[in-house]
Amino acid sequence: MPLRFSLALVLIATGGLRPPLANAEESLHARIDAVIEAKAKADNVPLSASADDAEFVRRVYLDFAGRIPTGAETKSFLADTAADKRVKLLDKLLGGPEYATRMADLFNVMLMERLGDSPEWAKFLKESFEKNVAWDAMVKKMLRADPKETEQPGASFWLAKRLENYGQNPVDYSGLTRDVGRIFLGKNFQCAECHDHLFIADYKQQDFQGLHTFFKNTYLAKTVVGERPTVEKTPFVSVFTKVQMATAPALPGAVMIDIPALTKGMEYLEPPDKKTGTPGVLKFSPLKEISEKLPTKSNTDFTRNSANRVWFMLLGRGQVHALDLHHGKNPASHPEVLDLLVAEFVGHNFDIKYLLREIALTKTYARSSKLPAGTKEAPDAKYFATVIERRLTAEQLLQSTLVATGNDLKTADTLRPKFVKAYANQAREPEEEFTASLKAALFRLHDDAVLGLLAPKPGNLVERVAKLPDADAIDELYLAILSRRPSAEEKTAITKVLAKHHDKRAEAVGRVAWALLASMEFGVNH
Amino acid sequence: MPRNPLCTPTDHRVTRRRFLGSAAGAVGLSALANPLVAEELKKQRRQVLFVWLDGGMSQLESWDPKPNSPFGGPFRPIQTTVPGIQISELFPQCAKLMKHLAIVRSVSTQDNSHSAGVDRIQRGDPKNRGVTYPFLGSAVAKLVGPGDSGLPPYIWVKPMSGGFIYKDAGFLGPKYGALALGDGKPPENLLRPNALTAEEDDERNDLRKLLDKNYAAQRRTELTEANSHAYEMAAQLQKKIELFDLSKLPQKDQDRYGTHDLGRHMLLARRLLEAGVTFVKVTSYGWDTHGDHFNGAASLHPKFDRPFAAMIEDLADRGMLDNVLVIACAEFGRTPRINGHIGRDHWPEAWSVAMAGRGIKKGVVAGKTNDKGTDVANDPVDIGGLFHTWFRALGIDPTDVQYGNAGQPLPIAHEEMKAVKEVLA
Repeated sequence: MPLRFSLALVLIATGGLRPPLANAEESLHARIDAVIEAKAKADNVPLSASADDAEFVRRVYLDFAGRIPTGAETKSFLADTAADKRVKLLDKLLGGPEYATRMADLFNVMLMERLGDSPEWAKFLKESFEKNVAWDAMVKKMLRADPKETEQPGASFWLAKRLENYGQNPVDYSGLTRDVGRIFLGKNFQCAECHDHLFIADYKQQDFQGLHTFFKNTYLAKTVVGERPTVEKTPFVSVFTKVQMATAPALPGAVMIDIPALTKGMEYLEPPDKKTGTPGVLKFSPLKEISEKLPTKSNTDFTRNSANRVWFMLLGRGQVHALDLHHGKNPASHPEVLDLLVAEFVGHNFDIKYLLREIALTKTYARSSKLPAGTKEAPDAKYFATVIERRLTAEQLLQSTLVATGNDLKTADTLRPKFVKAYANQAREPEEEFTASLKAALFRLHDDAVLGLLAPKPGNLVERVAKLPDADAIDELYLAILSRRPSAEEKTAITKVLAKHHDKRAEAVGRVAWALLASMEFGVNH
Repeated sequence: MPRNPLCTPTDHRVTRRRFLGSAAGAVGLSALANPLVAEELKKQRRQVLFVWLDGGMSQLESWDPKPNSPFGGPFRPIQTTVPGIQISELFPQCAKLMKHLAIVRSVSTQDNSHSAGVDRIQRGDPKNRGVTYPFLGSAVAKLVGPGDSGLPPYIWVKPMSGGFIYKDAGFLGPKYGALALGDGKPPENLLRPNALTAEEDDERNDLRKLLDKNYAAQRRTELTEANSHAYEMAAQLQKKIELFDLSKLPQKDQDRYGTHDLGRHMLLARRLLEAGVTFVKVTSYGWDTHGDHFNGAASLHPKFDRPFAAMIEDLADRGMLDNVLVIACAEFGRTPRINGHIGRDHWPEAWSVAMAGRGIKKGVVAGKTNDKGTDVANDPVDIGGLFHTWFRALGIDPTDVQYGNAGQPLPIAHEEMKAVKEVLA
């Protein structure tokens, strides 16, 4: 082979010759990897090795089925010798029956931040993911919160729940405005309520007030969302400049929407029914306006935030970090990656499943959470050089615990409240990273909701494994709970423990299983 | 000129990792093995006892009596152990210990409703910045840290139910919330089930630790450290289960503190402070005496007087007053005017707060109210000023230390207010 040709091959293989955007024909995942690898290389950041099959199988099951794989599923994946087994597994899970349930949980936690639950809302989410409804269409329904919506009335719960008032406290319209900014636009305008943000130049008081004006006349009519007429601009004054300002409904940075001049009494197409409390239909509905103008391809706040959040879901950190601090001075860690994600998400009409699949196909997603060989300090998380361990939701922990211990999945409904109490954050506290707590530790240590699953019962893991010889028993426990085989050291340590308890073997096996369940390795998606 | 609101946050003294991570726990454990080091660490402790008299205690029947005035009521003042300082005859035990106490009689705050007052006072009522400020307990947990006890830094002893009360932490985040011990009982799931022996428990935890060690050896260690610390805290609390069993204490202690809720809870609080907990809040309910106030006070006030005085005495005997800042506070005082139901209503305009211990001058009164007790005579002190006072007593300079909230620097106390110098040692 001529020297020049082989040199070119080497350069291509390392990505050195290839400008990331040069080849639009190339798959999105390959283009993402090229950017991330080039940046790590330029900054001399070592990359972790690819996750082994055991790490990978656990990761994708947690991400797309909402639970760890069963011992049998892990074994069959590890034994599979097909070169494309990872893609096959991914596609099986994306097309599987658990996908929609998992996505409903993931999006519920992100969208509601533990403010509350509703069966109709859960149904809306699950149905949407079953049909792979486009993200912009989902958001449109949530923001429109149309009281006349009969097919998916649950969509209005996002807004309705935020219009409840607690005790004697008034409705928290500021909190609602902040949530729209944070969750749908990736911008936390909290500090811009009373004045332009002091050190984020992009966040203006006008942005907060303009957004607020879409919602200030909304109210909760029993269970549906109603609107009172919006007839004039919202006046506001900065606590610093004291200059009198006013705004019509406006998206951040966008022009104000004209408020039509309507004579008093003529604001409604259908007046509200005072007797039944049914809201009217307005000629000018700010909710209709925002539902049509916010979730669109041309709204870059919306597209960038949406793509960034989907990336976060699988990588544990946004390209823009924190998730709700998009602004000019806080660029993405890899601006080209975010641009790519946005362009392709928009190009595929906000197809969430497409975007998730592409991200899950990257080498970046499939790297190990173990540090790069020969290093002691983890590279800065912003390089995505080593996989970031992700928090599991209470639901993922519940389902995984049941799967791991081989207990009846039907008991999930009775155990769910206890798991949520132990593992969920308080309301309005985003569950974006793992947090250790005394409450959760005590729950794992002593609560019957956990310990009861480890008592030997016909057909469950502990009962089944206790009958096996030590070596097999330990293998089975590891495969069932940690989705891998034990190391030699672990095998020795556990064999020693089991040897001490010939008379009460099942109980001893139960305690070993507990140690695996209570470990950090079980408690996160690593 | 006020400080530049944009200056860099300096609040990096207690990092999240130190709070959550094993560093603090590790110091505690290795140190406790060496008695000399343990003693030295104890001397360096900075702790707070915060007694909250929910509903509002009357200043006139406690720290600021107004005899022979139209609103003075039937009780008389008595002489304390500090010449010139008199308090209500309903506080005979506290009168004996006045030499340790400092009273601020010129407290004047903003809210006269319970719902707003309880929060505003305990959050120090800073200027509105669109964020929810932490309660004093969460603030101290953040600013002082968990110390060497291995126990949660903010424990709240209260009647009725307990649990993990996150809302106290405000923007500091749930990890600075309170562990509430309902009726002084241990938290849910604290106790090992009977079916599991101590040996078996150790055995399973040793395996867990082996797994975690192996797991962390190849990865980022912060999460595992934080998680290990939570388990360690659970183990420490479990070992201290005898803290909750007051029946094993000498009968004399139980008699001095009393067997009523506040008495038992104060005794538990003393044990928690002895164990090194950074911030202990004790709440007593039922002080909202809108009707039949004087009979109410005759029964309620001694229930505070006895255990509070016993606490001061015990902390002094143990040399702990040098470390522990003691505060007795409520959301407001009560009206001088006596209403048609022989009650006193809510009165934030002029009331008293008592304190003692670390950083506090002994045997002093600061500020005064007018002759009828209807208003502060001069220099009213709002809760922001008291927060300045308490932080300074703990050795924290509120003009130097700030919180950082996602890059936003926030003052730890109202920046236009100042400490009450007269009560600072």
